Amino acid sequence: MFHNLDARSPIPLYAQIAERIRLAIATGALAPAEALPSVRQLATELRVNPATVVQAYRDLEAQNFVEIRHGAGTFVRELAPGRRARERASQATALVRKLLAEARRMGVSLVEVQKAIEEEVGAKTP
Amino acid sequence: MSHAIEISGLKYRAGSFELKDVDLHVPTGSIYGFLGPNGSGKTTTMRLVLGLLRPLGGRISVLGDRMPEDAPRILARVGYVPEQPHLDATLTVRELMTFQAAFYPTWDRAFAEDLVKRFELDDHRVFGRLSKGQKAKLMILLALAQRGDLLVLDEPTDGLDPVVRRDILTALLEYVAERKATIFISSHLVHELERFCDWVAVMDDGRLVTEVPMEKLKLGTKRLVVSGAPATPGATPFVILSRDPAPPNGASERWIVGQWEPAMSSYFQGVGASLVDVIDLDLEDGFVELLRSFRTSRG
Repeated sequence: MFHNLDARSPIPLYAQIAERIRLAIATGALAPAEALPSVRQLATELRVNPATVVQAYRDLEAQNFVEIRHGAGTFVRELAPGRRARERASQATALVRKLLAEARRMGVSLVEVQKAIEEEVGAKTP
Repeated sequence: MSHAIEISGLKYRAGSFELKDVDLHVPTGSIYGFLGPNGSGKTTTMRLVLGLLRPLGGRISVLGDRMPEDAPRILARVGYVPEQPHLDATLTVRELMTFQAAFYPTWDRAFAEDLVKRFELDDHRVFGRLSKGQKAKLMILLALAQRGDLLVLDEPTDGLDPVVRRDILTALLEYVAERKATIFISSHLVHELERFCDWVAVMDDGRLVTEVPMEKLKLGTKRLVVSGAPATPGATPFVILSRDPAPPNGASERWIVGQWEPAMSSYFQGVGASLVDVIDLDLEDGFVELLRSFRTSRG
């Protein structure tokens, strides 16, 4: 879930961690009522500041993705199906934006990107 | 915000080296990275914080007490790992632990035993015959097991292999997660600090270049690609750290700026230039650019 956290990215690590967990919840990789790792576990596993994990969990709680039960842990909340779909759609948009920004930087045209996607998928998009 | 370490106007001199009016504010509970080239004054500052050197001027407070006046009370609550091991080479790991424990009423025996096992230290071996990695682990063990509220770590992972480095960092992060302790850590390994520091300070030639929350440094330092840039930029909403002159082929200029925010791109329309690209810099790039502009501004 956290395999390519990028400490060198300007996106703060807490935001990257929160985003991965949001995505895992949206795709069902994390099920409702499932417990997230403890702050200590995740901080040492990812070699990040424990405060970074706390901040990620607080963000997720503020957005109603998880519930922090003091002394017990942090648990995934049930999401409305519409919300899960919206979350996946917003992740897809973020991926495309990243791709387009990179293409622009490299001087690759939109048509070329489109063509490459169609070739990779093996089908023509309408 | 309370500070575990607060330094103002710190002055010190030894031979040709001079520490000039250093101010530092290490927030309680933070992991505070202390960066700077060799000889910039990191070790000297740390030794002053611990009362191992006497300042020529300025004020140092540590965990709410004054250094050097309250040194014994402060040192009882501070774990220190010096740059060079200072332990008796003829004592065994076990003897060194017993020795250290005698100085600290807060010494946690069970925790020390746990660390001996986790670090795979042979407690009958004398210090002088330990490998470099084992020495470093033992120093960390001694600093952690006294259960202090502040850890002062001078290049604790310098020159160690990645496995030992990871073991040490894991132990440190676990300690912070449990104890909410403050860590004041210097390192050459900029990327290592990038992952877990809340704050960074940069030193150069005995002076403080900057002290800033990590996120602010990383989010605010950018490389801008500018075309049609004016010869004199006038008043800019951001700080220009450096500016590479336009190449003769009419290509764009590259500016390194600090305190950047996206809304500031409107500045370029105002001066008849256009902003072609904004490129993120990582901590190492930011660090190098900060030093470069600091040195230029001082002539």
